[in-house]
Amino acid sequence: MYDIKPLEEEWKKYKKKKMRPWFVLLFSILLVLLVSLTFLNYKEIDFLNFNDKSKVEAVTKVPTALLIDKALTTLEIKKPEITEIKPVTVTSHENDSNEIVEDMPIEEEAAIINKPKIKEETAQKNRKKVHLNIIETTSASAYKDVAKRFHQSHDTDDSLFLAKVYYRKGNYKKAEYWALQTNKVNGNIEEGWLIFAKSKVKLGRKNEAIRILTTYIKKSNSGRAKSLLHKIKKGTL
Amino acid sequence: MKSRYEAAKNVFIDSIDNDDYIELNSSISAYKQLEHSINKPLKMILLFGKPGTGKSILLNRIHNKLKHQREIHYFDTPAINEKEFFHKLFKVLTKKDLPNNTEVNFSALVDFCKNLRGKREIIILLDEAQMYGPEMMEKIRLFSDSRAVKFVVSLHKTENEDLIAKEHFQSRIWEVIELKNATKEDQTTYIHKKLLKKNLFEIANSIKDKDMKLIHAFTKGNFRECNKLLFTLFEICEYYDENEPSKINYEQIPQRIIEMAALKLGYIHV
Repeated sequence: MYDIKPLEEEWKKYKKKKMRPWFVLLFSILLVLLVSLTFLNYKEIDFLNFNDKSKVEAVTKVPTALLIDKALTTLEIKKPEITEIKPVTVTSHENDSNEIVEDMPIEEEAAIINKPKIKEETAQKNRKKVHLNIIETTSASAYKDVAKRFHQSHDTDDSLFLAKVYYRKGNYKKAEYWALQTNKVNGNIEEGWLIFAKSKVKLGRKNEAIRILTTYIKKSNSGRAKSLLHKIKKGTL
Repeated sequence: MKSRYEAAKNVFIDSIDNDDYIELNSSISAYKQLEHSINKPLKMILLFGKPGTGKSILLNRIHNKLKHQREIHYFDTPAINEKEFFHKLFKVLTKKDLPNNTEVNFSALVDFCKNLRGKREIIILLDEAQMYGPEMMEKIRLFSDSRAVKFVVSLHKTENEDLIAKEHFQSRIWEVIELKNATKEDQTTYIHKKLLKKNLFEIANSIKDKDMKLIHAFTKGNFRECNKLLFTLFEICEYYDENEPSKINYEQIPQRIIEMAALKLGYIHV
């Protein structure tokens, strides 16, 4: 037996070739698992955000310009299978402004209702009747719809709402963007400046945040802004 | 010092020696069937199977067993032409050598056979009968018609050879014995018995069941292929034993070596 070395080499090649399909199979399984896990993980996050009642409730409480807090209890929720959607009239507070801007996701039991479309129908004295077409949708698409609507109406409540939601979700880049949009439309909304500064800090641009807040404090002398500035400087945000 | 694998290697040198005959369930059955057929008043018996299924060793075995009891002759190599065949047959029938410059007349030989009817019963074992042409086979049939000569014809099983068998023997009174490749169990017994016959107990024990499965998969239970594979396998073992002992496990033949032997013999390819 003199040809043992070439035979050993040949055997190594054979072994590699024999093992190849197993490696391919293993790689495919891992890939499928990875994709499945990523997908499930994404769904889970979405699901949690979607169903976290406390969060949603918190969101609904935050906007100061929320004008339909009473009316919400009287809203009729139209299920998707019902083709004919009854318009619901929502009446705002008498002493509030005439702008009806809130359209955030509302959760009622298991169903989440989002994307109300507000239509002004009749204008009465100090009162506005609005038709809300409420349909069930996912929170992600609801945010998109709010953003879309903001681009059409430039309503700061929409942009501020998005800024807050994204900030809470930890999407600071988007939060920064929507806070900036708010400030562009109306530079006097304090919440917009605060979220803008906080998002900057979270994105690692602390100096920029300090500069912005200092400017805003000079202009407004806001106590909340001062407190936030102190926190940022101390690094306790 | 000689390697322990050298003796093992030599066990698997392909031969049809009677000493190398291994009794297996399948071979015992084939042997009994052939012995039984020979005792029947048949003119021709067809033994067929793929090359390496043990036809020759079976003929050799039966020849050795019966040669002292019956008038049995084993033609292990086929005659290259008619003349040579008739010479051989003449010698068997007359028990004499053909005188120089003499030729055998076919019809005279057939007549001679007919005269022997009832007096003698001659059995002729024709190995590798696929080498005889159709014309020759027809003449063999005529000899067998005399009922004094009984032929056991061994054929390789291929499509064409089946055709020859059908064309020439289908209408005759005859019996067919088909030999098949060994089952995994039979092949395992074959390998173990062969090694144990030479007292190579440790080596026989080092070939485990999963190795037998692999050997059977490579050789498809064919005895000749099995001999080839085992010979090469022990040849590789012998090399490692003498030159690189670290590469060999004496407790169990590594699967790698079986695959290397299979690669060398072309059962598998890179």
